[in-house]
Amino acid sequence: MADQKQITFTLDGRPVRTSPGTLVIEAAKSQGIEVPSFCYYPGLALQAACRMCLVEVEKMPKLQTACTLVATEGMVVRTMTDQVRKARKDMIEFLLSNHPLDCPVCDKGGECELQDMTFRYGLDKTRFAEEKLHHPEEKWSPLVYYDAPRCILCFRCVRVCDEGMDTKALGVGSRGVHSVILPNKPGELACEECGMCIDICPVGALTSGTYRYHTRPWEMTYVADPCTHCSNGCKTTLSVRNNEILRANNRDHSGVNGEFLCAKGRFGFDFATHPERIRAPLVRRNGKLAPASWEEALEEVARRLKQVRDAHRAETIGVIGSNHTTNEENYLLNRFARITLGTNNLDHHRTADYVGLAAALGPRMKDSLATMADVYQAPAVLLVANEVSNQNPLVAWQIRAGVRHHGLRLYAINGRPSKIHRQAKIAVEVSRGSEARAVRWLAAEQGRWEAKTTESLAALKAALGAEHDVVVLFGAEIQGSAIRDLVSWAGRLGGKTKFMALGDYANSRGAADMGILPDRLPGYAPLSDAAERARFGKLWGGEIPAAAGLTLRGMLDAATQGKLKALYVVGANPLKGFPGPSADRIAGLDLLVVEEMFLTETAQRADVVLPAACSYEKEGSLTNTAGEVQLTHRATDPQGPRSDFDLLRILSHQLSLLGMGAPIRLRTPAAALDEIRQNVSGYDVLPATLLGGGAELAAPAPRPVESYEPPEGAVFSSNDYLFTSGTLGRYCSRLTSTNEARERPWSSSPSTQSWWHR
Amino acid sequence: MELPPHLDEKFRELMGRYPVKRSALVPMMLYAQDHFGFLGDEILEEIATRLDLNKIEVEETLAYYSMLRRKPAGRYHIQVCTNISCMLRGGHELYAHVQKRLGIGHKEVSPSGTFSLEEVECIGACTGAPSLQVNYDFYENLDPDKVDALLEQLEQGKKPQPVPVTSGSLHERLPAETLVISKRFGIRDSRRMDVYLAHEGYQALEKALKQMTPDQIIEEVKKSNLRGRGGAGFPAGMKWSFVPKETNKPKYILANADESEPGTCKDRPLMEMDPHQLIEGIVIAGRAVSANQGYIYIRGEYRYLIDIMDQAIAEAYGRGYLGKDILSSGFDFELSTHTGAGAYECGEESALMESLEGKRGYPRIKPPFPAVVGLYHCPTVINNAETLSTVPAVIRMGGEAYANLGTPRNGGTRLYSISGHVNRPGIYELPLGFPLRRLIEEVAGGIRGGKKLKAVIPGGSSCPLLSAEEIDLPMDFDSLAKAGSMLGSGGTVIMDEDTCMVDVARRIMHFYAHESCGWCIPCREGTSWLRKMLDRFHEGEGRAEDIPLIDELAKNMLGRTFCPLGDAAALPTISIVQKWRNEFEDHLRGKCSYQAADALAAAP
Repeated sequence: MADQKQITFTLDGRPVRTSPGTLVIEAAKSQGIEVPSFCYYPGLALQAACRMCLVEVEKMPKLQTACTLVATEGMVVRTMTDQVRKARKDMIEFLLSNHPLDCPVCDKGGECELQDMTFRYGLDKTRFAEEKLHHPEEKWSPLVYYDAPRCILCFRCVRVCDEGMDTKALGVGSRGVHSVILPNKPGELACEECGMCIDICPVGALTSGTYRYHTRPWEMTYVADPCTHCSNGCKTTLSVRNNEILRANNRDHSGVNGEFLCAKGRFGFDFATHPERIRAPLVRRNGKLAPASWEEALEEVARRLKQVRDAHRAETIGVIGSNHTTNEENYLLNRFARITLGTNNLDHHRTADYVGLAAALGPRMKDSLATMADVYQAPAVLLVANEVSNQNPLVAWQIRAGVRHHGLRLYAINGRPSKIHRQAKIAVEVSRGSEARAVRWLAAEQGRWEAKTTESLAALKAALGAEHDVVVLFGAEIQGSAIRDLVSWAGRLGGKTKFMALGDYANSRGAADMGILPDRLPGYAPLSDAAERARFGKLWGGEIPAAAGLTLRGMLDAATQGKLKALYVVGANPLKGFPGPSADRIAGLDLLVVEEMFLTETAQRADVVLPAACSYEKEGSLTNTAGEVQLTHRATDPQGPRSDFDLLRILSHQLSLLGMGAPIRLRTPAAALDEIRQNVSGYDVLPATLLGGGAELAAPAPRPVESYEPPEGAVFSSNDYLFTSGTLGRYCSRLTSTNEARERPWSSSPSTQSWWHR
Repeated sequence: MELPPHLDEKFRELMGRYPVKRSALVPMMLYAQDHFGFLGDEILEEIATRLDLNKIEVEETLAYYSMLRRKPAGRYHIQVCTNISCMLRGGHELYAHVQKRLGIGHKEVSPSGTFSLEEVECIGACTGAPSLQVNYDFYENLDPDKVDALLEQLEQGKKPQPVPVTSGSLHERLPAETLVISKRFGIRDSRRMDVYLAHEGYQALEKALKQMTPDQIIEEVKKSNLRGRGGAGFPAGMKWSFVPKETNKPKYILANADESEPGTCKDRPLMEMDPHQLIEGIVIAGRAVSANQGYIYIRGEYRYLIDIMDQAIAEAYGRGYLGKDILSSGFDFELSTHTGAGAYECGEESALMESLEGKRGYPRIKPPFPAVVGLYHCPTVINNAETLSTVPAVIRMGGEAYANLGTPRNGGTRLYSISGHVNRPGIYELPLGFPLRRLIEEVAGGIRGGKKLKAVIPGGSSCPLLSAEEIDLPMDFDSLAKAGSMLGSGGTVIMDEDTCMVDVARRIMHFYAHESCGWCIPCREGTSWLRKMLDRFHEGEGRAEDIPLIDELAKNMLGRTFCPLGDAAALPTISIVQKWRNEFEDHLRGKCSYQAADALAAAP
């Protein structure tokens, strides 16, 4: 069958079987034959402008561009004839005629496509004796610079900005040899600062403000890590020299993000060297935080935790986990809280109701989770709430690519305007906060709406009724029973419906999966399940208390009331961002310990601050919001701080000596992952894939739950946008240096409206 | 922004002309510029808002068109043409004179703001060379004294009568001519409907609608051997037959009146003196392919022709030759003009469509061809204005009779714009196959001043040049192709023995470098490189190795560019280097010895 659909053509004398519609340039690539090109870029509109890919085709008098030539049955193509070689040489000669050849100082030197092509196909001498054109370089933003003389006008940047990003911040000015790339404001860019234009530039025309003139590409080492900011899990390649990250980009396109990166992934790495980074432990002495040795600090923490537990009960200790530390750290923290400290008061800032999704899907979760690739490949996507173009930029990119490449149909219900609605077949804008009500209407046609909204919802519902294999995405606005409604209704649509809850941070999903919850063990096992308690208790060498603990908000309230005596916080800043007056919330605490990178609002109130490494400084795994697990690697040495993994491990030993629980024997994140793989539902991922830099879907299969509703106010999004990233974002100077960082997308100022939601 | 009522009304009217409102962008900008003198931020924002465009989309479109400007010009914007036909008759000297007289240079404005000056590419007044435009008004057959008088009057606030082609350079009709599409030229008020009707007007349309099926119309046009008059000479009937019959999409007829090929100005009299003939041809084409909408894309410099065409279109609507149920046939056809804004490349059919869609005039990847995927991605017939103007005659007299006027495979007659060093430059209608020697000696009255012939551009500056020894051939598509050149657009430029062929090559390359859209590398870089080299060479700074390099660089562009503009730049260059290599060698000895020094000084 498959054979009948194939065509055969001849390429450089060998028969090539390929599917109809294949471009010769792609067919050649599949045969290991390089047909050079500058303007051709898979996934973007065809250009046929650089004329580098000219090939000889039998029975055609002129050379043809392989990038637009569709292979047909019997076609005879030659890519290595004298005529073709000469044409390539001539094109390179034309290109270099106005090129400044400042390769020795050009950022792109050593990784420049024009250099490589000249080396492989070009002339060995120059015949151009005229004056070259010159334009001064332009600074378009703190992050993007343009050097017109180096520009070869392949228009990749214009296309990726228009087609890929749907931002259209770049255009072409003037005409002919004087053509230049134009930013959308006079001499200035007003855009999402994603830097895709820099990455896609084959030469050094568009350069990064963070990197330009800093170093040479061959002087750096490269480490590919999942981005530490949002929940999408894009792979970003960190370029490191002298223990400093100088650049982040995505040149090998091997992550779940393909070629995509947003401003955070590309420019949001300089927090690591921020001057306010805490480099040594701090212990409060005489009311003031003062530097201390690790021994002093850890001894202080252990001693005082023991004091609190002895003076009160274990239930007066609370633990708040992080949504950007690793799975291994969260797994350890779970054990640390429940066994070492003996408390179920364990929670984190939940930015999506993953628990609700697990409860609604039950064992079906195993095969009902959508990956990032599924979003792109889906014939149709239903998006409920969440401003994906700001909060989940990769998801938005995948949707746009799907629409562009294969006519993906997007349906949206949202309480906020969003750029992504421009892609939508039907976008129903409801009042903010009523998204869950709209879901209920879809499921049961209950609830009253304006006639117009009802009509739109009915149209959306009818259209989805005709779809199959729909991917359903939803934000934090949809939780508990609303998820159950959504799952039960969408699950009955044609084909196989898949779901993705959209959270905020790099390991939001992982924190939930690892059970940083007062009522769930790892893998969404209910704490009330005695068998599961026993299983993990045995594994962890202790007994897990049966009664569910306090939620994050419950812990803060208990602290205010003096019922909570000690709070142990890992990579979180609960005193900022949670509703209610924050200063007095913890007045009743005897002990506050914070593992942090910076002196956050919470850390400032701590009795002991333990400086923590960031995810670019340690080993471990992160799970993106889709459930895709990837390894993160130590790109730089933390220079003082230690990983949360090590801190918890060492503390467990200290506390063990004081008679609190068994010490954690897992010495490395790899060992912890091994234990997770064997014991946490859905995490039986293939290590080989992870070690190879790939992603594995973690799809737990929790037991069915009758009903589930998250505690009031437990699940909410920070509504970060492209230039904020929780606490971390404040310390990303490159991100905060942009004009756009000052224009919050959800404000109503007209200047903002002009480009965020256009 | 508050707009003056007439501009507001114009904007609304323009936006109503197209199924996609962005199409109104270039016309809106041009009309706004006419009012404000330039395009400031505020009006661009206003246009962007009205068309739901980003500012950058407006800016990049604006930047493409040479007539659109972001800075104010003078009250009188003097545009002196120095392209090939004008150059041969003193265009550079004229430009130098105006520079001196006004004390300003290229794209500069006089301190009082009265004048601004621009050296422009071919404005399509080649048979009236040298010529210039003051704003949109043409002044032709100029010399320094006439220009002084003109500028003086303008300074005094008087506006001398412009000299359009009818009152100025149209000659007496010659016995050698065969009048088919130009037979109404010279008749008083020939552009008016009544006059047109009195002279066989709309008879062909009546016949096509009432006595013929669409297929029969196409068949008749095929029989006529009518080949495209824009330059490529593709058979019109065959082009029409490529339009798919079964389609749900609307179809379009485009008249390409973006006449910009240097040496060519034949569409001017066709629209100026016989606009209804063009309208009739378009409606017949619409009937043949079942299209119900047409646009006439007219180059922006021809503003007075746009006004004339608009009037004629209004007349045709009034009399029921356009609009719903034409001549009670049940056939509907809507037609309007569309203005360009200064871009030779937009004469290329796919670039024209991009331009009509309100974008930069970049050519499109082919296939698909316009007949299947054209304007707004719908099936489109695009023909040269002259081709469409010929259609009524073909239908009226029958394809075969029309074909018989010409030679085999080269049906009928065509208009030749004859310019350069001849005694009687002008626009003449001659049958296909007319001998070139007779065209020069008999029709154009021979070489001016009794000089000897040196070179001929047979059909616009894109064609390889013919030497004096090569002119014994019939002017038809096939004979010229055999002689290694092209019949092109019928813009025949004659050069006498005093012409510096290096200068000709230089000037031609200046044009193509200026007009290269910048899309593809070989054309963008090749034309620019050759322009610089030829400038240097002509200045006496050439090196022996430059001569083969000029030839090679031109050949390196040839056949490898995205659209035919690269070939258009390469072909004349190659022919000049090969046929007049001795003149290049002469330049190695120092400055050009073929022309006076002051002409060189004025060179751009």
